[in-house]
Amino acid sequence: MTRVRNVLLIAVALILAAIYLFPLYWMYVTALKTSTAMFASPPIFAPRNPQWGIFASVWQERHMAGYLWNSLVIATSAVVLIAILGVGCAYVLARYRSVWVDAGLFLVLMLQVLPASLMVTPIFVGFSQLGLLDYPRLATVLAITAKAMPFFVVLVRATFMSVPMELEEAALVDGNSRVGAFFHIVLPLARNGILVSATLIFMQAFGEFVYSKSLIQEVGLQPASVGLNTFMGPNSVDWNRIMGYASIYVTPILGIFVLLQRKIVSGLTSGALK
Amino acid sequence: MRNGLSTFWDGRGFDLLLVGIPLAFLIAISGSALVYNVVMSFQEVGMFTLGSFVRPFAGLKNYAEVLSDPQTWPILGNTAIFVVGSLSGQFIVGFALALFFGLKFPGSTYLRGLFLVSWVMPGLVTGALWSWLLAGDFGVVNFFLRSLGIINENIFWRSDPAFALWSVVIANIWFGTSFNMILLSVGLASIPEDLYEAASLDGANVFQRFFTITLPMMRSTIGALLSLGLIFTLQQFDLFAALTDGGPNNASNVAQYWAWQLSFREYDFARGATVSVMMIIVVIAAALFYVRSTRHEVRG
Amino acid sequence: MQRILPIASAAVMGLALALPSAARAQDPVTITIWTVDKTGQPTPDLAREFDESEPDINVVYREVPFADLMSEALRAFSIGKAPDIFAVDNPDTAMLAANGALLDLTDMIAKSDAIKVENYFDGPMESATWDGHIYGVPKATNTIALYYNKDMFKEAGIKEPPRTWDELIEDARKLNKPDKGVYGVAFSAKASEEGTFQFLPFVQMAGGSYDHINSEGGVKALTFFKTLLDEGLASPDTVSRTQWASTATFNAGNAAMAISGPWELNRMADEADFDWGVALLPVPEEGAQRSSAMGDYNWVIFKTTKHPEAAFKALEFFANQDKDLFQRFGQLPARRDIDIPPTGNDKKDAALQVFLEQMKYAKPRGPHPEWPKISKAIQTALQAALAGGATPQEALDQAAKTIDGIID
Repeated sequence: MTRVRNVLLIAVALILAAIYLFPLYWMYVTALKTSTAMFASPPIFAPRNPQWGIFASVWQERHMAGYLWNSLVIATSAVVLIAILGVGCAYVLARYRSVWVDAGLFLVLMLQVLPASLMVTPIFVGFSQLGLLDYPRLATVLAITAKAMPFFVVLVRATFMSVPMELEEAALVDGNSRVGAFFHIVLPLARNGILVSATLIFMQAFGEFVYSKSLIQEVGLQPASVGLNTFMGPNSVDWNRIMGYASIYVTPILGIFVLLQRKIVSGLTSGALK
Repeated sequence: MRNGLSTFWDGRGFDLLLVGIPLAFLIAISGSALVYNVVMSFQEVGMFTLGSFVRPFAGLKNYAEVLSDPQTWPILGNTAIFVVGSLSGQFIVGFALALFFGLKFPGSTYLRGLFLVSWVMPGLVTGALWSWLLAGDFGVVNFFLRSLGIINENIFWRSDPAFALWSVVIANIWFGTSFNMILLSVGLASIPEDLYEAASLDGANVFQRFFTITLPMMRSTIGALLSLGLIFTLQQFDLFAALTDGGPNNASNVAQYWAWQLSFREYDFARGATVSVMMIIVVIAAALFYVRSTRHEVRG
Repeated sequence: MQRILPIASAAVMGLALALPSAARAQDPVTITIWTVDKTGQPTPDLAREFDESEPDINVVYREVPFADLMSEALRAFSIGKAPDIFAVDNPDTAMLAANGALLDLTDMIAKSDAIKVENYFDGPMESATWDGHIYGVPKATNTIALYYNKDMFKEAGIKEPPRTWDELIEDARKLNKPDKGVYGVAFSAKASEEGTFQFLPFVQMAGGSYDHINSEGGVKALTFFKTLLDEGLASPDTVSRTQWASTATFNAGNAAMAISGPWELNRMADEADFDWGVALLPVPEEGAQRSSAMGDYNWVIFKTTKHPEAAFKALEFFANQDKDLFQRFGQLPARRDIDIPPTGNDKKDAALQVFLEQMKYAKPRGPHPEWPKISKAIQTALQAALAGGATPQEALDQAAKTIDGIID
């Protein structure tokens, strides 16, 4: 009986997943089509003559190695900075329950109200006066940090909420300082949630577009999102090549995601997102 | 013995330090950018005066202009449709999926996790992908709808004023549903089983249990989710840029995209800032709502 | 130890971020150039050649997507980081000049051997002039005409390309094959400068103009566009597609005619596997005045440049390459003193003659310092009538009201 139930449920789940993930399948399949197959009617779902060469040719022609390296550098730096700044903030906001904490939380959320497209001009002007635009990737990292940190704080704060306060208090009674208790007791207990949140933030930073586009003018320092935008331009007719670019761009993220999936989901479900 | 400095590693100072530095950082970057927008909405902003802070004071002129612009109300209406449509779509589909995967069968956790890929995709890629899926003449979505007999003629999703806004809503629902699902799954998992068992013993059916136990128990999760969702939805920009550009005839234009168009297409920075400030007010309400919903949280 | 690691790696990362741009060598003179040109278009090549020919001048080139061209330039200018040389879309030249952002080139041009005003066509030169002073040098020029698929015309029994608007509609009806996904005609009425660019010539042919957009001529032109969409003779995507994307459907055999410019010639010669030709834009009725759009960019030098001589030297170098512009890059020089030799491709050469003829009727947009706002009003009217259900008269009345408010 449970067996039949399970088989049925798995079948339904697979169908749901197939529908939901169809856009991704379509991205890969489109990349493999010739220009004529792309516009065929009815659409071709499994190309007879897959153009595997497209990945290599797009990779080379669009200089993707450089773009992806920049994405990696920017996203990694942003995540490190966000983690350093955000973990402590989340910890304090989770530890107390008062009007001041409410105000702090409110402020953190408020500061990310506007879309990046509307924040970018003031940031551009301010950074230029500080001379930060001479280090465009650093400037982008700072802007992304300001943009993504509030969300990280919200996530990690929930993790700290699930760490029993008694453990920390016991450590304090044992003679630990606040710093000691934080680093030796609380942080290790919240490690999973922090890593999960950091991974999510990394993936978002890896796809960041608006700040990179305006703050980084030198092509050699731009990330892959800007490369994709330049490629698409107003002339989005080369759909197979655009989808080829997109495939190369997202496959590493998807790969990391699928590999770490179990960890991410268990991290999320064990309290990171309460 | 404590001296003044030790508070920074063993007292209130430690907390202040941990919260103070990041807040100072956020205020320095995002805060000053917000203030810049607010100030600009009360000024006359020439095309080349972006770099200076001192500009002629305009009073409420920009606000009066925006409010009397015939485009304003339709665009605000679109914004409301976009927010409500996206949020309810993401929430309902997400909730349904969360309930389904809550049934616990072999592989359910793994399959559920796979859905999250939609949420980790770069926004620009999602936009490009959906503009290809929803293309008028060659789009695969039209093909499916035709094969299923739902439509007879192709829908020009991105060019037909009746559908343009919905094409962005659809893409946004796809993007955000998985995130909703995961959050709701977490909420569902934290409801104690014995509550349901007790209710079944009392003879409550599935629907009664859902409305008397599930929904009330998840009040704070849902509150947090909806207010975070509102903030995310009002920030959605990439999809508009990739799919419809706000057109045709503003049919899919929303406040956040319009503010950007005013600034960077018509170079009317003051009015762009004014629209942003009007948006900020809405988001303040959402942030307050979020903070209130955290009141119900329990530690442990 | 583990806890120190993230901090250390952050520091290393910070260094890595800072290094590349700080380590750039200081050359005697560095000038920066921004245009929309990508590889294969003129500027990347010309900039490199200029760089190589001038040992004392170092050239940095940046490609900016068309949609961001002006906003990037405005933002950079307001913080004093504008490029030295910039290629501005010609109708926007007046805006930059009137706001005092550009270097007045009048005197330098008067002394120059390479750049002589009389060598340029009047329309492009007019667009580079504001208030009696010259602020720009036409980079190239272009206009639009009617491409048509000769095979489809033959099959439908149509001998000649349409000469009037009525003929175009009639032909489009014959050529339209919805069941095969073939439209009569492809053009762009997008809510961007491209929409205005394609629409204004039709207004002007019917006797209207941007400052009297709701006159009889304007209404007639918009009614013509609306008929094409309402009857399904053009794709509903016309209101959201660029010219380049619209013409791609023509190249793929999904439209029998296309309104577009000479920038298509190379791509079409490569891609279109049918016989095609180019005809002058049809006129409202036999004997009506001709008109066409005038496109492309002007070279300008920002007033903030520290090296005006070097920058002007670059413009002179570019002007000297105008003679090869068509052969090398398929673009038309804005020069009356240059004869373009045949390319050897019959279709391209025939098309070129039509474009050169059409060029005689090309009119600049404006010039007006508030052109982007005027253009926006026209785009709004286009969209309101073609996609929003407004009548052409209502849509253009609204546009005229907006434009009058801007011009007065």
